[in-house]
Amino acid sequence: MKLYEYEGKALLAKTGISVPKGGVVAGPTEAAVVAAELGYPVVLKSQVLRGSRGKAGGIRFAADGNALVREAEALLTLSIGGERVEKLLIEERLTVARELYAGITLDPLTLLPQLMISPSGGMDIETVAHSTPGKLYRLPLDPLDLPGLPRVIDLVLMAGLQGEEMLRVAGTVQNLIRAYFRYEAITVEINPLIIDAQGRVLAADAKLEIDDSALGRVKETAAFVRTEYLLDPLEAEAKAGEIAYVRMGGGNVGLVSGGAGLGMASMDMISVHGGAPANFLDLGGNATRERTAAALRIVLKTPGVEGILINLFGGINNCESMAKGIAQVLDALHPPQAIVVKMRGHSQDEGWAILEARQIPIVKFGTTEEAVLLLMEKLKERGVRGSGHTG
Amino acid sequence: MAILVNGDTRVIIQGATGKQGKYHTLKLLEYHVRVVGGVTPGREGAQVHGVPVYGTVAQAMKETPVDASMIVVPPAGVLAAALDAIENRVPLVVVITEFVPLHDALKIRGMARKTGVRIIGPNTIGVISPGKSKVGIMPGFIYGEGPVGVISRSGTLTHEIASNLTCRGIGQSTCVCIGGDMVKGTDFVDVLELFRADPETEKVILIGEIGGAGEELAARYLREHPYPKKVIAFIAGATAPPEKRMGHAGAMISAGFGTADSKIRSLKEAGVTVVESLDEVIRQCR
Repeated sequence: MKLYEYEGKALLAKTGISVPKGGVVAGPTEAAVVAAELGYPVVLKSQVLRGSRGKAGGIRFAADGNALVREAEALLTLSIGGERVEKLLIEERLTVARELYAGITLDPLTLLPQLMISPSGGMDIETVAHSTPGKLYRLPLDPLDLPGLPRVIDLVLMAGLQGEEMLRVAGTVQNLIRAYFRYEAITVEINPLIIDAQGRVLAADAKLEIDDSALGRVKETAAFVRTEYLLDPLEAEAKAGEIAYVRMGGGNVGLVSGGAGLGMASMDMISVHGGAPANFLDLGGNATRERTAAALRIVLKTPGVEGILINLFGGINNCESMAKGIAQVLDALHPPQAIVVKMRGHSQDEGWAILEARQIPIVKFGTTEEAVLLLMEKLKERGVRGSGHTG
Repeated sequence: MAILVNGDTRVIIQGATGKQGKYHTLKLLEYHVRVVGGVTPGREGAQVHGVPVYGTVAQAMKETPVDASMIVVPPAGVLAAALDAIENRVPLVVVITEFVPLHDALKIRGMARKTGVRIIGPNTIGVISPGKSKVGIMPGFIYGEGPVGVISRSGTLTHEIASNLTCRGIGQSTCVCIGGDMVKGTDFVDVLELFRADPETEKVILIGEIGGAGEELAARYLREHPYPKKVIAFIAGATAPPEKRMGHAGAMISAGFGTADSKIRSLKEAGVTVVESLDEVIRQCR
């Protein structure tokens, strides 16, 4: 779960990290109340989960009440990367003496969380890593043996800080490590970490992503509600049914698959053979009759779908219950789309019999590619566009 | 020969009394696996399809030697179950469970590296040496005995490749699904190393996917340690859009890292036969 800046800052503050004074609001009147308490000038920050907010004009400043209302109204009509701005964080405007970067994320090479500090704050950290890798100081974090303050101080010294400031930054970084483990984060990032004119060390921004599999036990996230960024109603329906579904847009071949790898490979094969995948769908483990039926319904509703590949294995699931789920939808909806099923594994004979009774073409011993070719042929017979897509 | 599991492997099932546990205990027995016990805290004395259930791994090991454990407990119980197996030095621990919290996986991996216990998974269908044994949840009959080793991140792609091979008369020495999560106990390189030394394995199929760096690390290993066997690779997800999570927790491209292109290029540079279609994988094994 990605956190909004204001949520992330609230969590960081609980570990002792200083954040600018401020409050989150949903309208200009509320904004004026918060700003009056803080005193002008203030900064207005759009709360969105994706996209680059700065470049999209999502951060504004206000020197007085009139400017504040004007800017708040403007921001609340904004869309950033397809996401509507519904909340603003109103904060004291900081006088910046220095901008740093501090973050922890999983290093794909060592599979350990890695602490990164850079004296070049405020920039995109991938850019820093690329253009000036020498300005990024890294420390792997062994979860069974976390570094003490001296190791953190070494790193902060290397990043060029000294004296009181160095100690304050090291303390903040130590708290950031604590936050990463306490909140079971995948990523925590403070960019920029600011030293202001008074020498205060403050998290001017906060990007946190919490592991979805741990949300149930990270109590601090219980109050964080998410519905707003699922703009696609079909993706929302899939999410409610705990089905992994991603819409591609512009595709003509729908997909129901069991397993993420098989799903991705099926999309690749559809593209290789001149089709355009309309969606990715992974039923995952526990593909019961009901969940298989729900998945097929979602794919049938996906706009532009002319043919459907159902590619399943009875491993942890069994073919009979999955076939029953498919049959249930076919009997109820009599969909016009061409459908090809490839299915084998536990209880395959029972599953095949159910589908054969409904004249559904089944690839029993053939490969995914053979199933894709059969489906493409069926689409061609129907005079449906079959090529010209790059996927 | 084969790797990791064979006909002598004595297996315990942690979580044997659950619904999945019972079902797969039966499936292992049907495959003639030497299932020597189940483990469920608080259920000692029970039986699952005639297999005795113990309260802890230590209790099971008092009664019988154990070579491998298969963990099928719910996600919240995986850490405790894995630590129980690791502390008792079960040599091979296969974590089937999906949705294991990342920070638990980090601890499990860390403990395993310290103790020398080999963890496969989490989020895996397990390991099978066809015709000999399996510690996993794959339908055994779609796997056939033979000379090809298979390593894959994806469970269903392991089924796909193995069953395509089997249906065309090409068997497998061992199929290892290392799991779909980012943090896992065993990586491509570890399994390549095992296949290198296995006389039964003549060719190795490596099934990768977008996200992470496991394939790039495998390429580096193959470049630096010339490999005596033909390696054939397929990378799933070339058509997946960036920054979208494709089901697997590990399958996400971020900031240009872990793209299909990067993996394909580095594997080709290491002398691997990288193919663009699933059927070509099979043709390359003939």
